[in-house]
Amino acid sequence: MSSLTSMDEAKASRIRHTLWFGLIGVVVLWFGSIPILDGNQSLYFSLMLWVTMATSFNIIAGFTGYMPFGFVAFYGMGTYTAAILVSIVKVSPYIAIPASGLAGVLIALLFAPTLRLGGIYFAIVSLSLAVILQRIMGLAPEDITGGSGGLNLGQHTVREQGFYAMLIVLVAALATVTWLTRSRLGKALRAIRDDAQAADAMGINVQRSRLYAWLLSALFASLCGGIQAWFTGALDPVTAFDVLITAKTVIYAMAGGLGTVTGPVIGTVILVWVDELIWRQFPVLNSFLLGLIIALLILFMPRGIIGTLMQKYPRCRRLIM
Amino acid sequence: MSEVLVWNAMIGGIVFGMVYALIGCSLNVLAGVLRVINFAHGEFIIAGSFFAYALFTGLGLHPLLSLPICAVAFFVAGRGLYYLLVPRLARSDEPETSSFLLMFGVSLMLIAAMTWIFEADIRPLNFTFDPINVTLFTIENAYGEGRHGRVLIPTARIVALVINLFIIVGLTWYFYRTLPGKALRAATMNREAIQIVGINIHRLSSMAFGLATSLAGITGVLLALVIPSIDPNGGADIALIGFVVIVLGGLGHPVGALFAGIIFGFVEQFSNLMLPQAAAQMVGFIILVAVIFLKPSGLFGRSVLR
Amino acid sequence: MTASHAVAAPADAILRIEGLVKRFGGLVAVDNVSFGLERGDILGIIGINGAGKTTVMNCINGIYHADGGQIFCNGRNITKLSPHAIAKAGIGRTFQVPRIFHRMTLIDNLLVTSLDSSESDAVLIERAEHFLERVNLAELRYNHGEELSGGQQKLLELARVMMFDPALILLDEPFAGVNPSLCRLFIERIQDLQRDGKSFALVSHDLTSIYKLSNNIIVLNQGQVIAEGGVEDIKNDPAVIEAYLGQ
Ligand SMILES: Nc1ncnc2c1ncn2[C@@H]1O[C@H](COP(=O)(O)OP(=O)(O)O)[C@@H](O)[C@H]1O
Ligand SMILES: [Mg+2]
Repeated sequence: MSSLTSMDEAKASRIRHTLWFGLIGVVVLWFGSIPILDGNQSLYFSLMLWVTMATSFNIIAGFTGYMPFGFVAFYGMGTYTAAILVSIVKVSPYIAIPASGLAGVLIALLFAPTLRLGGIYFAIVSLSLAVILQRIMGLAPEDITGGSGGLNLGQHTVREQGFYAMLIVLVAALATVTWLTRSRLGKALRAIRDDAQAADAMGINVQRSRLYAWLLSALFASLCGGIQAWFTGALDPVTAFDVLITAKTVIYAMAGGLGTVTGPVIGTVILVWVDELIWRQFPVLNSFLLGLIIALLILFMPRGIIGTLMQKYPRCRRLIM
Repeated sequence: MSEVLVWNAMIGGIVFGMVYALIGCSLNVLAGVLRVINFAHGEFIIAGSFFAYALFTGLGLHPLLSLPICAVAFFVAGRGLYYLLVPRLARSDEPETSSFLLMFGVSLMLIAAMTWIFEADIRPLNFTFDPINVTLFTIENAYGEGRHGRVLIPTARIVALVINLFIIVGLTWYFYRTLPGKALRAATMNREAIQIVGINIHRLSSMAFGLATSLAGITGVLLALVIPSIDPNGGADIALIGFVVIVLGGLGHPVGALFAGIIFGFVEQFSNLMLPQAAAQMVGFIILVAVIFLKPSGLFGRSVLR
Repeated sequence: MTASHAVAAPADAILRIEGLVKRFGGLVAVDNVSFGLERGDILGIIGINGAGKTTVMNCINGIYHADGGQIFCNGRNITKLSPHAIAKAGIGRTFQVPRIFHRMTLIDNLLVTSLDSSESDAVLIERAEHFLERVNLAELRYNHGEELSGGQQKLLELARVMMFDPALILLDEPFAGVNPSLCRLFIERIQDLQRDGKSFALVSHDLTSIYKLSNNIIVLNQGQVIAEGGVEDIKNDPAVIEAYLGQ
């Protein structure tokens, strides 16, 4: 049995963090050099995007136990806010992107009352709200949202800038979850996830803590949406609110392990590569395989790669975040 | 507004309302007995429509004949699916959330499979009834002097409505008069108690799953009669209607779903008639959100807050 | 002097319950229950299974909202407060079936009670280690809750509530499913805490330990208080004997 003193644990924690921040540093250098070295920008962009999405999903699902099946709503809101601001209001992306994050937070505030709902109702409402938003964007007047045809902002934006913006948001998201695992808010959230009533009985303001997680999660997801619009230069209601975006986010985060910092990152890195492969080989089967992976994960590895490792080998916990 | 249109909306309200009621019933059987909200339910229903389509185009079988085959096939498939998926779920950290995710995955697979087999475009189903339409009555001078309006209803819709009525009556009889039906209802009220009484919960749950799947298949065939074109991507819309219905009627109450389905059918038809298209499409969702926040227990009480 | 004045709670009663009612559908689980608990006392609550003991606790700490009656803590009406506000008012508890945070380390399980504290993390961790020591769980402090046995989980709950440092502690069946040596440890800790001035409401159907620890006892049956008094009174009360043995 492990007989750690707190000194050992402090040391383990230091090693863990050094390793982790070192890794982030390497990734920043590596990814940062891609546009300069003419690498495959799209692939690396999508890696960063999905790691950020999975990480922000992890904040709400992994740390508090909610499963927002309409998670794409935040992303879609971010996409539209950025695109409308850039292509119609004609402001710089440097203003539009923070605004898209803000829009996500506002929509999350608007949806915050759904957090009171029990599991089944929360799932239904969350899914429905995403569809409602999609419909609104599709049905709104064309000179505002571009209607069902969407918007084009390519001529106002520079792809490389979008790439670097994504890198910045990625690092911010990772820094936030890293902070969250150590912070008191993070402890409160994990306690709530394990047993909300018991956490309440121990003096934790459950609703307020959940709200913070909800807003943080929405912030990063909508930033992803905004930057995606910046990078690709086009959007439409179907793809911006595509249920597959929620699906991928969920799978990537779960495959690695919800509730851990590294889980969603590892899950995403592995599965984005797999996804690329599948896309190339069998485009039709893509969403079939995504569905199959979800089902298999739920049935056979509900805690994901990292979560299962930690469960099987408790000693790993000292080395993995 | 023409009187004819109002009559059409009323008839449409009943025809569609009954289909919605059926969707709600089957969703509620699952929600009540298994505490599962089937995110793949819309796809199950579409699969039922495609079942009828395949038998019709492949073997020339009329949808009315494929209905019983579909009911049996889907029942068996549903029970199989239950034993494949659900018992494992019970062992997970959070069975409820996991079940949503699982069915979410199943729905993605079904959409992909159906798009793959039947391709992404909407399929027409060209069966015929003779006569195609039935004139219910004529309204004198409906469109001005001497221009009479006829209130028509496609024969296929009448057939669908009648079958639908039979199924609903049969279900009610099953739930209130037969032993397995009563056991199912008891299970929706108290899962623990029913285990103490000594009913094998797995057998019962698999029955519920089979029944719900079978009903979904039947709904799909009926839907193909009502709207003879099938969209492999239409599952999400159907599922959302189902959610509106079960939330409105109270989660887990098959009878509540019946009323809610008809109410929603009418609301939908009349908002199509009276509101601009964009607004009419939102009505269902507005009802959903309003009910959840104002009267979350629906027409029948049950606590839903955390 | 009016009659109502005579009934009024003494200012320093740490807990006073008046006419508490809780229904579940048609079932009246708690039926007009009133009792008081003086600072520094241990109140035993006994009754057969289903008598309503746990429900009373859930009402006190706000997990259930009472359908009738009032609950006062130090003279303050806490009936309508939410659980975390009641916790802040100084009432801590354990659960009949332990409800620890199973995917957090034992240290973190304890820290959860002190997240609003102005003290530094280092001080809190040191205190958490101290309390884990007191329930013999210090060795396992970086293990996850889910790795503990049932009895250890009960002890972790006790350590958690000690860390939390409430003036009143509600213990729901602390000895059920705990082996005798852990049980003795548990009783010692309760006695220590009482010496430190803590008050307890202690639910158990293990009469021996209740008789040993309690200053006062109330007996619940079908949601009602059927007897109330000191240990000797209860031991010899015919209504109690009937409720326990008569059926
Ligand atoms: N959440 C609940 N819903 C419905 N009935 C409940 C609930 N909690 C307790 N009860 C019922 O209230 C009665 C008292 O239960 P409880 O307080 O747990 O008894 P005790 O702790 O004395 O064994 C029992 O009949 C029990 O079935
Ligand atoms: Mg009890």
